[in-house]
Amino acid sequence: MLTRRSFLTNTYDGLRGIALASLLAEGGLLAKDNDNGPRIDQANPYATRPPLFEPKAKNVLMVFCCGALSQVDTFDYKPELIRYDGKPLPGNENLTSFQGENGNLTRPLWQFRPRGEVGKMVSDLVPQIGKHSDEICYLHSLTTKTNTHGPAENMMSTGFTFDGFPSMGSWISYALGTENQDLPSFVAIEDPRGMPQAGPNNWASGFLPAAFQGTPFSTTKPIRYLTPPGNLNVASDRQARQVLNQLNQDHLARFPGDQALAARIASYELAARMQMSIPDAAAVENESQHTLELYGADSANKNKAAFGRNCILARRLIERGVRFVQLFNGAYASGGNLNWDGHSKLKQQYDVHGEILDQPVAGLLADLKQRGLLESTLVVFCTEFGRMPMFQMGTYGRDHNPNGFTCWLAGAGVKTPYSYGATDEFGFQSTENVISVHDFHATILHLLGLDHERLTFYHNGIERRLTNVHGTVIREILA
Amino acid sequence: MSSNFLNATKPVQRCLFLVGAWGLVVAFGWLPAWADETTATPIDYLRDIRPIFAEHCSSCHGPEEQESGLRLDDRENLLVGGDWGDPTIVPGKSDESFLIRVVSGEEPDLKMPPEDEPLTATQIELLRTWIDQGASMPKHDASKHPQHWSLRPIAVVEPPAIDDPWIANPIDAFVLTRLREAGLEPSSRAEPRVLTRRTFLTLHGLPPAQKTLKQDSGTHAELVDHLLRSPRYGERWAQHWLDVIRWAETTGYETNLARPRAWPYRDWLIQALNDDMPYDQFIFEQLAGDTIGIDAALGFLVAGPVNLPGQIGKDEESMRQARQDALDEVIRTVSGSFLGLTMGCARCHSHKFDPIPQRDYYAFQAIFAGIQYGERRLRGEENDRWTAEAEKVKEKLDVARNGLEALRRELKLLPPLSPNNHTEFFEPMLADTVRMEIQSTNHSGRPTLFELEIWSAGETTSKNVALATNGGQATASSFALENQSRHPDNLIDGILRTGDRFPWIANSAGAGWIEIKLAQAETINRIVWQRAEEFPVDYDIKVRSPNGDWTTVAHPRNRMLHPEDTRPADKVTLEGVDETDVENLVAQLANARKLNGEYNRLAAGPQVFAGVSRPAEPSYRLKRGDPMQRMEQVEPNVPGVLGSIGVAPGADESVRRVALARHLANPENPLTARVMVNRIWQHHFGAGLVRTPSDMGKMGEEPTHPELLDWLANEFVRSGWSVKALHRLILSSSTFCQSHQPRPEALSVDADCHMLWRFPPRRLEAEVLRDSILQVSGKLNLDASGPGFDFFNQSGGLSDYVPKEEFDESGWRRMIYAKKIRMQQIDVFGAFDCPDAGQMTAKRSRSITPIQALNLLNSTFVNRQAGFFAERVRALSSGDPAELVSRAVELALGRPPTKAETRQLASLCEQHGLEQVARVLFNTNEFVFLP
Repeated sequence: MLTRRSFLTNTYDGLRGIALASLLAEGGLLAKDNDNGPRIDQANPYATRPPLFEPKAKNVLMVFCCGALSQVDTFDYKPELIRYDGKPLPGNENLTSFQGENGNLTRPLWQFRPRGEVGKMVSDLVPQIGKHSDEICYLHSLTTKTNTHGPAENMMSTGFTFDGFPSMGSWISYALGTENQDLPSFVAIEDPRGMPQAGPNNWASGFLPAAFQGTPFSTTKPIRYLTPPGNLNVASDRQARQVLNQLNQDHLARFPGDQALAARIASYELAARMQMSIPDAAAVENESQHTLELYGADSANKNKAAFGRNCILARRLIERGVRFVQLFNGAYASGGNLNWDGHSKLKQQYDVHGEILDQPVAGLLADLKQRGLLESTLVVFCTEFGRMPMFQMGTYGRDHNPNGFTCWLAGAGVKTPYSYGATDEFGFQSTENVISVHDFHATILHLLGLDHERLTFYHNGIERRLTNVHGTVIREILA
Repeated sequence: MSSNFLNATKPVQRCLFLVGAWGLVVAFGWLPAWADETTATPIDYLRDIRPIFAEHCSSCHGPEEQESGLRLDDRENLLVGGDWGDPTIVPGKSDESFLIRVVSGEEPDLKMPPEDEPLTATQIELLRTWIDQGASMPKHDASKHPQHWSLRPIAVVEPPAIDDPWIANPIDAFVLTRLREAGLEPSSRAEPRVLTRRTFLTLHGLPPAQKTLKQDSGTHAELVDHLLRSPRYGERWAQHWLDVIRWAETTGYETNLARPRAWPYRDWLIQALNDDMPYDQFIFEQLAGDTIGIDAALGFLVAGPVNLPGQIGKDEESMRQARQDALDEVIRTVSGSFLGLTMGCARCHSHKFDPIPQRDYYAFQAIFAGIQYGERRLRGEENDRWTAEAEKVKEKLDVARNGLEALRRELKLLPPLSPNNHTEFFEPMLADTVRMEIQSTNHSGRPTLFELEIWSAGETTSKNVALATNGGQATASSFALENQSRHPDNLIDGILRTGDRFPWIANSAGAGWIEIKLAQAETINRIVWQRAEEFPVDYDIKVRSPNGDWTTVAHPRNRMLHPEDTRPADKVTLEGVDETDVENLVAQLANARKLNGEYNRLAAGPQVFAGVSRPAEPSYRLKRGDPMQRMEQVEPNVPGVLGSIGVAPGADESVRRVALARHLANPENPLTARVMVNRIWQHHFGAGLVRTPSDMGKMGEEPTHPELLDWLANEFVRSGWSVKALHRLILSSSTFCQSHQPRPEALSVDADCHMLWRFPPRRLEAEVLRDSILQVSGKLNLDASGPGFDFFNQSGGLSDYVPKEEFDESGWRRMIYAKKIRMQQIDVFGAFDCPDAGQMTAKRSRSITPIQALNLLNSTFVNRQAGFFAERVRALSSGDPAELVSRAVELALGRPPTKAETRQLASLCEQHGLEQVARVLFNTNEFVFLP
């Protein structure tokens, strides 16, 4: 990536180069002069921009399990937890966690079995995902900075617990633009059951320009205002837009060199193309019956079918070159009824959620693989934090645990099959190769050919980064 | 790492160091391509080295703490070295410098930083180069003299002595001088209609109304005066301030619950601007208005997001962290808005760039240590009316209560159950089990209790034998499985509402029972139940003797009804009271309850979300910002570089805020006037003289016109801190009045228009765009003040916000009167870089996106307004299409159409209707840009 200084020296092209730089600065699209960030052409903010070094992955598909998916009931197999079932957690007999007192250690509520050729122990809650273990790099030692859902979702999506920081998808769109000029660079797909807990902050652009915010839409919640109002006929719309373009062109001719005016004209052209390309990308109904079955999108379970269709939509967007797709599984706080927040009756609730999650995500992995998309796409499976190996005092569920949880990666540039990092013998806290969310983010950026320390944007006194002032690329998990 | 540990390992370290110094080949890490450049250029300590120390080292080896006797901002100390005795640096010889060895991991037993990630190869190389180049640095870098421009006193500046007909006031002299230095000339005056439109949009955020357009006769100065007198002015400029402090009417984060009484702050702000409240008073009222009876202004302090108690973990660390986060938001608001300082950066370590040691951050925090997020009483006329009204209601309430007491005596009922917890006494009896059978609760909800205590007889030896610790065992008819446990064990844990304990709650409404088995038979004589929100109003307490006989020892059916008992009369049974009397009693009770509620509301007075004052908690410096690592206690003060607010240790919390307000409003403060003058300038020209308006520190930009900035700051203070006087000054300059026409020769020299060779045009903000559409359609509703209108059909709570597509008149108010929902982008206009009130936004980005285009073309809002606009035009003109479109263009763009425009638009009008013309006009660049 060029620094801005060298950009101006190298690509200086008389008036035009200067005018462009001017436009960028005026639009607040450039950081300060000493910044390392990419340069954005205001007329074409989604233009493909080169990474800093040869990338392994071109795009990212993130599956975000809202509500804190229990690691000890899914991917983090702990035989000692079975042995110590019903006994206090040694050394932490009186632990107070997010909601208060904890009871005794409780064995996983689903049986673990070896999956894939590698024989990875994965529970019966997510058997179909487990079957893909040969394609998966499990990270068992994640830690985060807070034990509260909203801030923790912020942390996973933006690198900060606070509201108002740019999300990972925004940073990546800002850095790389997108491959398909006719689609948004960053799409957020909400769970059919509702909004994630930190809401739109998960895909907000924060202080980055609005061009880089996630565009939220799903198979159950279409994009707004993509088509003219219902009562307007096509011919009227076409002529109105032609006249608009003519008026704007005439106006531009009176102000030659005002690039922002040209940028706005270009934005209407891009909008017109999106009107064609978004419905095409979202036409999940065009998929074959075989594909629908693969994802469970034909299921009689309404939520499973809808999530399955969202998974298909995610694949269709990736296929068309969308840079970052953030796919949510689980909705807002609901006593664990609509997401993975299993405090009180984890078994009963997870049985419902597991059914919705497992086949569609497994189908997504299989489909990405068979279409060759896993070679260029990084799949990120994450949650905001984990859960305690104990039941809470007097309930049948587990409290929040920010000190040890599992996420996994699959696809481009990732070492598979592989398991990295570990929690202690009960799955209580990370002890081996501890990973911070910043490390996780730094690694994702690295796979895209980006240096997390050099992807910056000046805001209120600081050259901001996705990784704040932390983060180390986990080199051991790179293919 | 403790110093004991350091001492213990010292000999080993020394030994290794010697080996290393003799023999080790220094391994260079991977270096990025630009590292060569770095080695070639001289290292600037402040730019390159100090940030590394500040981030990684200074919390242990800085001004506050000198672990191992090492202080990195002191060159003398570096040359001598810390407790280890080895010189930390040997100028010119990085290989011999102890610093390099400990940071590069060459000392196996002493790695620095001890716990965090190691320094990067780049950082280590910078340190090496710096040492090899002689390790130059200020003698004591965090020292007395604030060298940075913004911390120097505001200079007394004379405008340049330059004579030119273009110059209308001293601003122009500064601007023209700078332009000529760059070989540039300014632009000629803008056309009157362009200037009028610009002035309207700048001051009111609305295009000129039709009738104003006709008043061409007035001068520009008269127009400015006219606009500044209008209430539309405050409505426009309040938004700029709300952006800076990220004010919103919800909490933010997961729950994002409403702050329904936040709006009085917004009204206070608009009024303050319209009244041209002097800026020193503006500061005072927002920091300490409560001390002079101005309560709404304190909404400023709590403008930011904060987590609600329910969203905070019950562990000590989470609770402390949450309080620190809440205070951090206050600090960011105050320091960013008034001082243009990014003090938040000093929370975890001394500021990397500005002279703000970490200790100063916590001293600043101590000023606000008594502020909690919440509502306070809003004094004023409304409050006085409520107080008077409360007295009248109190009289009625007393009458009602007396009536109830008379009735109780008449019906021969015992006094009601105690208001909070209730004790039932009975003759001592031997018991092994106690059972409470609940028939009904006060709101006919789920039976619940916090605690059931069973006390053994005996004056001195009496104890609660129900407690689990005394062997009690609790069971219940059922218990609720909510997020947290509602198990009957809660009844005998001996802990009331301490935040991390919970009551027993049955899983369904109606009857329920609880039973406590004692460890052994005990002689007991009283039972106490501790209530939750819901509590039993009809129950039987039964006691079992060891021989198995049950005795009912207490029930409340011989008592007067509890004031909070809301059961309907047909569900109430009272001993010896007939149905008619029960009905009468229940009716009178309901009346008293209603009066009591009304009295409580009136007596509390109207509220405003403006923070609650409590006695200040002690403040500590926190090591690395970790709330669990309290270091020394600190007293309230401003950063040392700005002087002192001079309050006594432990001063009352409001005294602290008053002192801060006085300090900020002192003309000697180098930042206050500069920061505000720069903000005002920014909103006239699209960018400030300092282009980083909330950061005048070292990471911020330098002013493009430093003398002009100081001259304006002095003028501002001299005018009595009048913002409107500053507007007049700026708006009457030729700099503001010049054309926005681009000029190739000027573009090639100063494309950013830093030097202001033309007026820089820009895209309108979201609010201005929406308000302008409404004004042109004729639907703008100018109702001012009071609770805002909704952009969402469903607001608050955990689930989604659903945007409203169709509005009635109430939603056609100016956008400043919309309820501001944090983190929720509003429909249609949110895409126009509308800040989400998550982080402070001193300067909006102005992006241009296809989503904006789709929203303006296709949204229900814009198309409905296009329809209204067409109706308006047809009402004003009955002519042919050419005349209709001509009128439409005049209303939308403030000018007659060109011939080509008339032709195109008339044809569109004829074939597809005037609505399409209106839709097109709302989408044109000319409509969407400030000229």
